[in-house]
Amino acid sequence: MGQHYDAIVIGGGHNGLTNAAYLAKAGKRVCVLERRHVLGGAAVTEEIIPGYLFSECSYVVSLLRPEIIRELDLPRHGLEILPLDGTFTPMPGGDYLWRMNDHGRSIREIRRHSRVDAEAYEEFSKMMTPMCRFVKPILSMIPPDPTTLRPKDLKQLHFLLQRFRDLSSDERYTLVQLMTMSAADFLDQWFETDVLKATMSASGIIGTFLGIRSPGTAYVLLHHYMGEIDGAFRSWGFSRGGTGAISNAIAAAAREAGVEIRTKAGVAKILVKNGRAKGVALTNGEELTANVVSSSVDPHLTFEKFLEPSELPSEFLADVKRYKFRGSSGKVNLALDGLPELKCMPGDGPHLRGAISISPSVEYMERGYDDAKYGHYSRRPYVDMVIPSLTDPSVAPPGKHVLSCFVQYAPYKLAEGTWDEQREAFGDNVIDTLSEYMPNLKKIIVGRQVLTPLDLEREFGLTQGNIFQGELSLEQLFFLRPVPGWAYYKTPVDNLYMCGSATHPGGGIMAAPGRIASQVILKEWKRAS
Amino acid sequence: MPLGQKVIVIGGGHNGLIAAFYLAKGGFKPVVLERREMVGGGAVTEEFHPGFRVSSLAHTLGPLRADVAADLRLENFDYEILQPEVRVFAPNPSGESLLFFHDEEKTAAGIARVSQKDGQKYKELADVLEYLQGVFGQLCSMTPPAIDKPAPDDLWNLLKTGRSIRKLGKRGMFDLLRWGPMAIADFAAEFFETELIRAVVAARGVFGTAMGPWSAGSTTVFLLRAAAATDACPVGAAAFPRGGLGKFSSALAEAARAAGAEIRTNAEVAQIRVKDGAVTGVALVDGEEIAAEAVVSGADPKRTFFKLVDATQLDPRFAMRMKNYRMNGTVAKVNLALGDLPAFPALASTVGPDGFRAALSGRIHIGPEIDYLEKAFDASKYGGYATSPYLEMTIPTILDAGLAPEGKHVASVYVQFTPYKLKNGNWETQRKELGQTVIKTLAQYAPNLPGLVEGIQVITPKDLETEYGFTGGHIFHGELALDQIFTMRPVLDWARYKTPIRGLFLCGNGTHPGNGLTGASGANAAREIIHELR
Repeated sequence: MGQHYDAIVIGGGHNGLTNAAYLAKAGKRVCVLERRHVLGGAAVTEEIIPGYLFSECSYVVSLLRPEIIRELDLPRHGLEILPLDGTFTPMPGGDYLWRMNDHGRSIREIRRHSRVDAEAYEEFSKMMTPMCRFVKPILSMIPPDPTTLRPKDLKQLHFLLQRFRDLSSDERYTLVQLMTMSAADFLDQWFETDVLKATMSASGIIGTFLGIRSPGTAYVLLHHYMGEIDGAFRSWGFSRGGTGAISNAIAAAAREAGVEIRTKAGVAKILVKNGRAKGVALTNGEELTANVVSSSVDPHLTFEKFLEPSELPSEFLADVKRYKFRGSSGKVNLALDGLPELKCMPGDGPHLRGAISISPSVEYMERGYDDAKYGHYSRRPYVDMVIPSLTDPSVAPPGKHVLSCFVQYAPYKLAEGTWDEQREAFGDNVIDTLSEYMPNLKKIIVGRQVLTPLDLEREFGLTQGNIFQGELSLEQLFFLRPVPGWAYYKTPVDNLYMCGSATHPGGGIMAAPGRIASQVILKEWKRAS
Repeated sequence: MPLGQKVIVIGGGHNGLIAAFYLAKGGFKPVVLERREMVGGGAVTEEFHPGFRVSSLAHTLGPLRADVAADLRLENFDYEILQPEVRVFAPNPSGESLLFFHDEEKTAAGIARVSQKDGQKYKELADVLEYLQGVFGQLCSMTPPAIDKPAPDDLWNLLKTGRSIRKLGKRGMFDLLRWGPMAIADFAAEFFETELIRAVVAARGVFGTAMGPWSAGSTTVFLLRAAAATDACPVGAAAFPRGGLGKFSSALAEAARAAGAEIRTNAEVAQIRVKDGAVTGVALVDGEEIAAEAVVSGADPKRTFFKLVDATQLDPRFAMRMKNYRMNGTVAKVNLALGDLPAFPALASTVGPDGFRAALSGRIHIGPEIDYLEKAFDASKYGGYATSPYLEMTIPTILDAGLAPEGKHVASVYVQFTPYKLKNGNWETQRKELGQTVIKTLAQYAPNLPGLVEGIQVITPKDLETEYGFTGGHIFHGELALDQIFTMRPVLDWARYKTPIRGLFLCGNGTHPGNGLTGASGANAAREIIHELR
């Protein structure tokens, strides 16, 4: 028998590390087990091409909860967020749309496309502020169970209802729309400029297998919009050293609190005795025991791989099997010899320091989705690019650059062939698409990394390649995430908890699930003792 | 307002007539003004080819909500319902087919021959729908609650609904929460493994909407429809009035008249007169002015507020919400005069020759796969229609021979997805082609059909607007989507049949529950109006 801990956390991604850090700060003896040789999960930075540091998966910081930054004192542990300014959307005809953090400049730029939209943009921004304010506290709460009459749950539901009733009529109208509409329909009400609608709606589909015309995507749009207004914390940005540096900062905070972190320690089984989690068995045969096991990996791995079907109620298992992953995106990371030159705005400039979005029209976005529905990657995909090396030169050799491209759609299930056969063609297709806007691109590529949904699954443990550990669709949010009746970080196995992105409030580098789960675990602990 | 006062009802569609019936019963004097020469709106029977009559638009009954049917007693007004033995016949191009009978056991047995599991699941889904009907039935009968100051009635209704929701149990409650926002394709796959069954079930979630089976929220539409049915059947009902849907409307009109309503046809309203924020009456296109302190509009919300009301009378915030109300239709109708009954080879493997007529007597579903339906939808997103559209056909003459000359038949075909706004050309130039597309598609399942066609009528989304008065050509008076139902139908804060204009009410399908020919909107609206006017 190996070591005994108060808690074992499975997975050293940002949520697992956060969870461990909070548990250790409360005086518990905690061990984090990471399968890979490096910490971070999908918030990881590695030197794939010599001299170039790729933030392989997650590439920007958007929603990292300010309270976590504060409570874990992350800046002291090396976290530094650098600003990412604006979104630049090149258009095929040579024009472009450039939205910046400087609101006034964005409005002037939009006015160039449409006077009406410039005014509407102002109104829109004003309206989104109370929307974000409404949703923010929900991101930090344990979802109530709407099916019980327990006073605690009723109180929380009443709190939500009361907050809703406190909104003005117009705010309610907009909030209800955001919760139910498609991003495209929602934006249609505000704007007339096609490219503006296309590029704004793009944030509504990230990580989902939905098109911009699918209801539910307006919520995802809000989910991504929230980072933008949190100006005080500059929530949209790069982390110096890549997104892996965020994980490292959290890991440092965790270590300081006494957490033992082990890499190359893949879990094979969660040990259960009499319906209680007792510890884990590692792939190397070693067994570790603990009072509590907290899993930050997704429900498929936690329940279908690490547990035996006999250890779970069949209804719960059926719900887990039904939980939708449906990865829809890939990643292409490029090592560049120089800077890419945009056809519509040649030369170096601030436009290269923000996000560059290939989302030129609503139809373009929707056609990309149509390809994916029938099992093909988008022939002309939506691409969200950043060049972190311009803001943070430490990630590339002097004068060289890193181009990080998030690509959607890339369906996990292909109609023909396998991802191993299609990987290079997929990468070529992305580069061809980008070359239409950046003609010099092919000439300056010195190395590339193509990550398909299958790679995300195999390498990073994201089932079916879903970057959020499960779709952010309405039926998988809040008190339904990950499965109805079990949205409270607990599981049917006593002393086994969930603390990853598959729990409320979901994916992105928020770390909120890890933190909330730690509160639940500590509370249960207190109750038991 | 004293009893016996005049209330004007704009539009003699089924909801207008039902509202008039209840208003008359409630002691008011309703006057229904119908623009066309016949009542019925979307439920009419017309001759489209010499000797051939058809239910021009809606071709099967809703059915009416049970309590409404009991109040109206349509059987007293020369009204007979024909119930085919088969609800749905669904062929696929490779020559297989499935029959969904009126009888559940028989259907399940037929399905079990294809898939044992699906036969069982069919019954299971029927059971699920049955227990959900309790909840949805209540929701559909109530006036959506006021959010700011809920009235005692609202709280009582919510309490009642809450109680019946609780009866579903924890599992049932969570299922309901989970299913609502789901895509119908996912929902169907949760129950069935056979593609054809999935497609037939999924079609019910997208019919008449601008959604494909993979659009999130289409399960809500499915559940709303299932709730409206009088029996819990996964694929819905098929029933015809003898003489076509026009007979249903004329029976409604008779019932309303008998209750004391006045019904005028060829009486088109040009404007709703408003003074100081309150209605004063209506002006007809022929110049006649009718004074009234209450006007109930059965026309769709956009027509009511943007065509019939002077724009300066509308609160700008309300007008903005109304403008955002989505009601671009995706449905067209093709009616065919046929020399004989078409032959479907796919039936040969399912029923013997003596079963052909019965098999075709319900709804014929052309849309064999989820992907087929989705692809039909895809085309419409870009302003076109698919070469293989989703079709729902009925041949009412099998049960009701009187609609066509002896030995001949009519086929009534709903075509989806045909967008109101075409990217290339317009519906006038596309009319003929659409008819040909439908015939070609049908020919894949019934090869002899093209040779039988003696006459054709194509009703495009544009015709639905100009001839039948559906703004945007939307047959349900507005998208049935998560953001346009219940307290949000037609718009948030104005879902209680009242409008910002005093004395102006809505009673059409653009109000809650807006689920087709059920009479629920008309009956609910009348209840609110009577309460308000008394």
